[in-house]
Amino acid sequence: MRNVSALVFASGLAFLLLVITWQFVVGGAPMLIGEAILQQGADKIGSANLVTSVVLGYRGIDTLGEIAILFTASTATSLVLSSLSAKTSSSKKVVIRDDGTILASSASLFFPLLITLGMYIILHGHLTPGGGFQGGVILAAAFFLPLLAVPGRGVNHSGLALVEGFAGASFIIIGIIALFQGNAFLQPFFGHGEMGSLVSAGTLPLLYTAVGLKVGAELSGLLANLAEIGEIVPESTDLQASSMQTESNGS
Amino acid sequence: MNNIAFTVALPLLAAFLLPIISNSSKSAARFIGPFVLLAMLGFSLAYFNMLEHPVAIALGGFRPPLGITFHLDNLSLLMASIIPLIMLVLWPYANIEGYREESLLLLLAGSASGLALSGDLFNIYVFYELLSVASFGLAAANRTGAAFAATFRYLVMSGLGTVLALTGIGLIYTQTGTLNLAHIGLLASQLNNPAGLSAFALIVIGIGVKAEIFPVNGWVPEVYSTASPRISALLAGLISKLAVLVIVRLLVVAYQGPEALTLLLVLGMLGIIWGELSAWRSKDLKRMLSFSSIGQLGMVLVAFSIPGEAGMVAGIAMMLHHLVVKPGLFMLTEHWNGSLNKLAGAAKSSPLAAVLFMLFALSLIGVPPFPGFWAKLLLVTGLVEANTPLYLTALAVLLSATVIEAHYLMHTAIRMYSKGKKKQVKKLHQTPFTLTIISVFAVVLITALITMAPLGNKLQHIAAESSDRALYINTTFAARHTPVRKQISLIKQQSKVQ
Repeated sequence: MRNVSALVFASGLAFLLLVITWQFVVGGAPMLIGEAILQQGADKIGSANLVTSVVLGYRGIDTLGEIAILFTASTATSLVLSSLSAKTSSSKKVVIRDDGTILASSASLFFPLLITLGMYIILHGHLTPGGGFQGGVILAAAFFLPLLAVPGRGVNHSGLALVEGFAGASFIIIGIIALFQGNAFLQPFFGHGEMGSLVSAGTLPLLYTAVGLKVGAELSGLLANLAEIGEIVPESTDLQASSMQTESNGS
Repeated sequence: MNNIAFTVALPLLAAFLLPIISNSSKSAARFIGPFVLLAMLGFSLAYFNMLEHPVAIALGGFRPPLGITFHLDNLSLLMASIIPLIMLVLWPYANIEGYREESLLLLLAGSASGLALSGDLFNIYVFYELLSVASFGLAAANRTGAAFAATFRYLVMSGLGTVLALTGIGLIYTQTGTLNLAHIGLLASQLNNPAGLSAFALIVIGIGVKAEIFPVNGWVPEVYSTASPRISALLAGLISKLAVLVIVRLLVVAYQGPEALTLLLVLGMLGIIWGELSAWRSKDLKRMLSFSSIGQLGMVLVAFSIPGEAGMVAGIAMMLHHLVVKPGLFMLTEHWNGSLNKLAGAAKSSPLAAVLFMLFALSLIGVPPFPGFWAKLLLVTGLVEANTPLYLTALAVLLSATVIEAHYLMHTAIRMYSKGKKKQVKKLHQTPFTLTIISVFAVVLITALITMAPLGNKLQHIAAESSDRALYINTTFAARHTPVRKQISLIKQQSKVQ
């Protein structure tokens, strides 16, 4: 049964894709929304980087959804990983030999540089290409690099959780403040300022800072979780056996 | 009206803060989830009562075709009120392990209300994605090997689905140049070509992963039989309906041609046939219920494929009925899991549970006077009135599926009432806590039975409102901060230019 439905599905999909490629007109797509935003976006929001005014202004709630997706993924992963580490943490202890002086010190050297770069990209998100997501990933790299260089170095999980939670909460709270001012949820406020200066585009830089800190804290927490579980192999036979069992039930 | 954004913002805020709160005080963290759900319920019920005519809210304060809108009408607010209600009933009050599952449930609640309310195609996609990721975590929350394997399969299939749906949305964007549902509705004529229709097909298949639509529902029996019953109840009862709602919105607003309806009809019929036959063959209560859920969702799809208001009312009725009955049935499997043969003597061990099973089963089959009968009656009359060969075939499929349904459900019931071995019967005892949860669903069902006449009127009203395409479009372009006439003439100009 599964094979038949897979075949039906695959051929249907192939047909659809053929129809689309046959029909598709390259370069002639209408740009109703895009053109309207190009015309009025700069005046309405005051952000020199128009992409940011779409990401945080016109489609702000989408961005809230995106950071929530990342948070959900990391929560779900730690839910799954916590069971694996609880099962096997006592059985194996990894011995770390500290013989990488060059590696360790260059990782420490890179740390402040990466933090500066990440924060720069986050804070200039409304002016130049980049922003919270890109800068946040660089921040995460800064925190993960020492962990790669010296495995077994502890990570302050509660500190990361604190940053993560408050950054995410402040994004929503900025939205709610707009609501209490009698405007719509996530409507930018604080005035436009002079376009192109660091303090401009209303609340957009604040929102991007929240996004950047959240993404950075989340990714480094996630990577640290994975690193801590890295050496430990889950009881693979158990997993395989149960998956085979469901397989036989399914057919 | 603007405050409706709280139904999305509050659960997300609580979910973000839950790890911090849980670090300082575990007992405070346990109160937050139910409290937030109550607040969500308050907001959506307040607007449900206040609503005289549909309203669109411009989020971020940008005019509708540019910014994102939330569309508030009876249907979306009804779903937005059901979400916190059903989650309050299925909330893991007894869970003391940690905050993570509660956090995921709150994220699920927030994304679900976003999905119910949103009037923007890409925004719907974002919330759908959030809903998917949260449901992966919840499906694996059991932390058994089988649950991990099933969740992985679910994840892969769901990932494929989201890619397809995104392709569909992208196609619609290239054809019309907009993402706002109402604006797409205005430009619907541009979608009446092979590319536009395949966009619809892609979205149906993509979103259909959650709606348990025929070719992409392979994950259903595995996930539902390995996840904990309350999660299965939530996924089968609530989440599948929200996915259907997205398809229905798109259908009403942009795809009123016969091709889209035929696609839904055929997929629905295949779902009914596959689901009910597999349920008939399955030897395990959880798997039986999962397959029956596929069959029921097929019926919902068939109902929505009937053109006009008749289809809408039948679809909403079938949807709401399944939303009440299936969670109740899934909660029964908390203690009645495993092979059907082991159920012998279950009625003796917990008689109330067996009676409740009978109640749900009879309603699911569609025995008068239970609500399931009226829902199926609406569907049957709708199919008869549509009166084309394909719809009559669907009618035949539906009726034979009902016979099959009756056979396997009654067969199970008979097994419950038969005599069993003493040692096994003891294991089948339902705890009072589970029984209370199941009874809540039964009480809702019986209340629906008693108030059938006013409920039917209300359903007609909701269906008339939500199947009105012009109303949807006008509502959006009359959103706050917008001079209505100017807006519509602007849109007309824009569409003329195209």
